[in-house]
Amino acid sequence: MRWLTLYSRSRQMPASFAATVIAAVGMWALGRGGGGSGAASASGSGPGDPQFAALALTAGVAAASVGLGGQDLALDRTAAIRWVPRRAAHVLLAAAVVAAVALAVRTLGDEMAGTEFIVRDSAGLMGLAALGAAACGGAYAWTLPVLWTAVGLFVPPPTNTPTRVAAWLLLPPGTPTATWTALTLTATGTAAYALAGPRGRHVA
Amino acid sequence: MNGRVARIELRRSVAPWAGALVPVFALALLYLIPGPWAWDTVRWTEQWTSLAMWTRSLLVFLWPLVLGLGALQGLRDHRSAMGELLTSTPRPAWHRAATLAGTIALTLVAGFALLLVVGGAQVLAGGAYQHLGWLPISLVAALALIAAAVLGMGLGRTLPSPLTPPALTVAAFVFTNLLRTAEGPAIPSPAAPNRLVLLSPAVSQVREVLLTLSAPVHLGQTLWLLGLAATGFALLAAATRRGRLLAVAPVLAGSVLALLVLPSDPRRTYVVDTAAAAMVCEGRVCVTKLHEARLHDLAGPGEKALRLLHGALGARAPVEIRESTGLRDLLDTPERSRTAVLVDFGDGAIGKAKGEELTRALLGQGLAPACAPRSEREGGSMSDIVAQDIAAAWVLGDLKPLPGTAQDPDRQTARALPVWKRFRALPPAEQRARIDAVHEAALACGDSGALDQLPGGASR
Repeated sequence: MRWLTLYSRSRQMPASFAATVIAAVGMWALGRGGGGSGAASASGSGPGDPQFAALALTAGVAAASVGLGGQDLALDRTAAIRWVPRRAAHVLLAAAVVAAVALAVRTLGDEMAGTEFIVRDSAGLMGLAALGAAACGGAYAWTLPVLWTAVGLFVPPPTNTPTRVAAWLLLPPGTPTATWTALTLTATGTAAYALAGPRGRHVA
Repeated sequence: MNGRVARIELRRSVAPWAGALVPVFALALLYLIPGPWAWDTVRWTEQWTSLAMWTRSLLVFLWPLVLGLGALQGLRDHRSAMGELLTSTPRPAWHRAATLAGTIALTLVAGFALLLVVGGAQVLAGGAYQHLGWLPISLVAALALIAAAVLGMGLGRTLPSPLTPPALTVAAFVFTNLLRTAEGPAIPSPAAPNRLVLLSPAVSQVREVLLTLSAPVHLGQTLWLLGLAATGFALLAAATRRGRLLAVAPVLAGSVLALLVLPSDPRRTYVVDTAAAAMVCEGRVCVTKLHEARLHDLAGPGEKALRLLHGALGARAPVEIRESTGLRDLLDTPERSRTAVLVDFGDGAIGKAKGEELTRALLGQGLAPACAPRSEREGGSMSDIVAQDIAAAWVLGDLKPLPGTAQDPDRQTARALPVWKRFRALPPAEQRARIDAVHEAALACGDSGALDQLPGGASR
């Protein structure tokens, strides 16, 4: 228990959690107030407009991704503990927390998105963040999920497999391409981060 | 000394990354993902204004990204915990800030310029309308990127938490994305107040190639972005709490001035480029200055089509061929004229055709101008194009479908053939009367369509 407390504090989890909640509530309020004030999003406006849910999840994942890097990587590595399962658990738990926050905000009323949509997107995005952490370091991990969301919101409604992969985040739940993309991202991201850990980066 | 510091910053800061990410992401999106930016008449490498507007519209996500990268850079002093050491040097803090801001501005401008060079080389090769009216659009885009980076650095230094960069990026992205302007209406119209929307540096995607941004927009956005950049720089250089508070002043001043200058009406935001829309003629065939390169290919078949039309319709035939310049909403009925055949190069039947095929398409368009618009975004209607097939066949004597549109040629033939056979069996005077009725119905675009005027045409 003591280890968990110290670990979560060293990885800024309380602040990340607060940011996730604020982002989810904020996007929920925006989606309710100005439903569809945004321009041509992938599937138009309406109660089920996925862009607000996607943005809320991206914000949550971006906040959570900050904790993927440690305070001192060299010090972390000297610890005689098995990092691989802990790192994998960190990624998966973070995805679960982001999804849980979104699901909890949904109970305020006004369906933001379906459960399957939220679970799929938060898992895929968190996998992407873990991939980013393994490739560029914890401080840079948020760039990958944020960029993919941005591209998904920018491109026109998808018509073929490459564009469906690009816009997987916004596709309705049950679309095979989107589910497989999310699964692949989750699996590769979690595996890469668990095995390699966050990339060390000398302070410039 | 300064040069050496700048060289080190160029290698060790986030500057090279920011400068590389901008063109790499932009080009990856423009080339790898098929979208409206790759469609013929509005393609990003087709015209200078389209190039400037498309690259600027990418700021929807490039601008927040650069802001976040700037914030990452701004965290450096906090991470390296050398603030106290720096206060002990006699060099003023703004010297360091200026070197850092200068290098990141340099790489961002170089990156964005590279993007423009890649696109511009193709624009030059393609025979576009040459002008410099697009430059302010891209200059504001470059200024927006610099302002984002400097503001990000300032905010990162003021709020040194690892959460700052992602929070800033996501907040900026929500801002630019929710304030996106829909390109569906004739004049791109935002849902939020226009002045507020113009504070976002991104612009609408290109649908009407003749539209450009008006001068007050450039001026207002420049003032606003200069205010943002000044605030960012002041935050980056500020050493005291009072300095940080004073740093808010430029952005407030910039936004007040910008709101005074920016137009409140979308119609004064996106305006028709009158120089590009001016007509250039060869005989009786006229196109806009923008599409002058297409005039030569259009003139021959156009003149022939006009002669044939005169023979077919007599005094009521259109006397000229002119490119349509009217702005219209998506899916709205195109402009009509009794005296001119109006062409739109976005219509694949005309835009992609050459020689004999083009003459046939122009005959169809002259006798039965399409009511449902055809472009890369709009499919048109089967009955419109079948009416054009038959009208052109009446003049030329043989039935051939018009290729290049969303309507499949084989299905056009299948639909047109029975009508054509019954039509051919009519006496010549009756044929002529039917074609007159088709012409009138097509010009009116009423409930009774052009094809309904032909025997068996109304069956479906």
